[in-house]
Amino acid sequence: MTKHTHTLRITAENQPTVMEKLLQVTRYRGFIVTGMTMFPESDSSLLTIELSVQSDNSIEHLQYQLNKLIDVTAIKLDSDAASLCRA
Amino acid sequence: MTSKQFKTGAALVFEILQQHDVKDVFGYPGGAIMPIYDALYDSEVKHFLCRHEQGAAFSAIGYARASGKVGVCLATSGPGATNLITGLADAMSDSIPVVAITGQVATKSMGSDAFQEVDIIGLSLACTKHSFQVRNVNELAGVLTQAFAIALEGRQGPVLVDIPKDIQLAQVDQAIAVADKDHRHYTQEPANVGSALALLNQAKKPMLYVGGGVGMANAVDELRDFIKVTGMPSVATLKGLGAVNNDDDCYLGMLGMHGRKAANLAVQQCDLLVAVGARFDDRVTGKLAEFAPHAKVIHFDIDQAEIGKRRGVDAAIMGDLKVNLPALAIPLAIDDWRAHCQQLGHEFANDYTYLGKGIYAPAVLNEISKTLKTNNQAAQTVVTTDVGQHQMWAAQHMNFTDPSNFLTSGGQGAMGFGLPAAIGAQVSRPQDTVIAVCGDGSFMMNVQELGTIKRYQLPVKIVLVDNSKLGMVRQWQQLFFDERYSETDLSDNPDFVALAQAFNIKAKIITEKEQVSDAIEEMLTHQGPYLLQVKIDAFDNVWPLVPPEAANDKMIESVKK
Ligand SMILES: Cc1ncc(C[n+]2csc(CCOP(=O)(O)OP(=O)(O)O)c2C)c(N)n1
Ligand SMILES: [Mg+2]
Repeated sequence: MTKHTHTLRITAENQPTVMEKLLQVTRYRGFIVTGMTMFPESDSSLLTIELSVQSDNSIEHLQYQLNKLIDVTAIKLDSDAASLCRA
Repeated sequence: MTSKQFKTGAALVFEILQQHDVKDVFGYPGGAIMPIYDALYDSEVKHFLCRHEQGAAFSAIGYARASGKVGVCLATSGPGATNLITGLADAMSDSIPVVAITGQVATKSMGSDAFQEVDIIGLSLACTKHSFQVRNVNELAGVLTQAFAIALEGRQGPVLVDIPKDIQLAQVDQAIAVADKDHRHYTQEPANVGSALALLNQAKKPMLYVGGGVGMANAVDELRDFIKVTGMPSVATLKGLGAVNNDDDCYLGMLGMHGRKAANLAVQQCDLLVAVGARFDDRVTGKLAEFAPHAKVIHFDIDQAEIGKRRGVDAAIMGDLKVNLPALAIPLAIDDWRAHCQQLGHEFANDYTYLGKGIYAPAVLNEISKTLKTNNQAAQTVVTTDVGQHQMWAAQHMNFTDPSNFLTSGGQGAMGFGLPAAIGAQVSRPQDTVIAVCGDGSFMMNVQELGTIKRYQLPVKIVLVDNSKLGMVRQWQQLFFDERYSETDLSDNPDFVALAQAFNIKAKIITEKEQVSDAIEEMLTHQGPYLLQVKIDAFDNVWPLVPPEAANDKMIESVKK
């Protein structure tokens, strides 16, 4: 089965545990991280995280799981990967 | 040191707990949480000293499940906090609202491998809905308020709040009223009622698959109305037991690995499965690819991530069951199917003929349940269980009037749940009867909680189903591991009656069928705590059983000789 790579653009509260929790859920739900960039928004308490992941599993389900995290405020699927993350 | 001129973080903790109507907490003190225990000394919040932090966590869960309120537990840093972890995992799997408050070493020592320092935040991330560490006393009120909101909102679950010792001791600047943060994560997409209604109207053999979400959503009445209007036959998961009215003759009981034959057969035959607050757990579905193979699926849930997680759906109804169930309650023309389900129910009704000589545990549990019903006591009785054969027998052979009356560790199957959960249930419902159905193996996992029962004279009734085995594992060794009984013998158990008596708990052992009725009567009428040890045959098995990776209609019903 071919593995698919996807890039998620995640906006989250800049809390100490948020990166750990994102990566934990990503691993637990069966995705491998192939690239990651994180930067704080200059004018707010938010972080932007670009996460490239690979799996046979449905990316939609990872999105649902990540969206449940209390500190995550938005998730967008960047399919054409015109982003800072390159797998 | 004890002059209370100003308010400390520790005192603020109890102020916030009281604001959230918390009357009882379960916990265990230690160095890093001493300021909170000092503040407790002046507080009106009632603390129950458990004898292990796992007991405190399970009691908080029992309290929450029996009452619908948030359960609260306290523990110190390091080993106190790690002892909570199994309870948090249980609450996470079964979606139980719990707030766990842990002490932590002082902020200046954090990260230095200080005495009793453990990264409880890191450890808790995988088994909580959310975890907080308070770094500034002025954030404490807001964090605790958020913790309660998060525990209760959407799909409920456990939240941990870790409070370093210096924050507990620090003076609160001002009475900060923190506005509740807006958690908008459960985006309610418009419920897809149109296509679901079409599926309902087309269905000739619809089946309602009732999960724990019904009780969690406080939607038992809406579910019963839905059943009344639609006439739909139903089955329930372990956590869904109690939601459907037991007198409904199209209710076929529990489905899944140890489900009733009628329930599993009917689900395999249905052409529409209506899942309500259920998650297609592997213990329910058996071989997933062959589960309800002819059925389209309508799935009601509050958690978007459950939709399509294990089984694709034809219509998803997201959001609050209380709102959404009535929207789909339409009369259906399914008389033939109803008659068929009723007939299955009669054909495969529970049978209590027993060929063995001694006591048959399913018959005992059924008799307790019937006695409660006859005494008009069923609605005011909570049954908790441990994990194993006795748990499945309780699920199969006892009837419950509401999901809050049957507390069992579902998603995790955590042995040692029964006794502390019963303590929590009894504290939350002091007037009601609480019965812990325990296994001899599981009982020993939190046996120290007899000390909690003794101290508070909690009138918990313990039915100890004693097969001198880790019975469920032994059954699997018999069926699937060539009768190689590796490490499942408990024939050197302690004298349980003497053990209970050492805690001033009245106790009795029964070994013969003829003793059962009197013993039940004596236990139920006894005013204080009571332990009834029921000796059964070590080789009694739980039937039916769907073997691992088999379809649910391929159940085994006895040992092939
Ligand atoms: C904490 C924990 N450890 C191990 C298990 C695995 N396990 C499941 S049932 C069981 C046997 C339980 O024995 P007992 O409490 O005597 O119940 P019985 O099956 O005999 O009724 C075991 C060891 C578990 N579920 N939980
Ligand atoms: Mg046993």
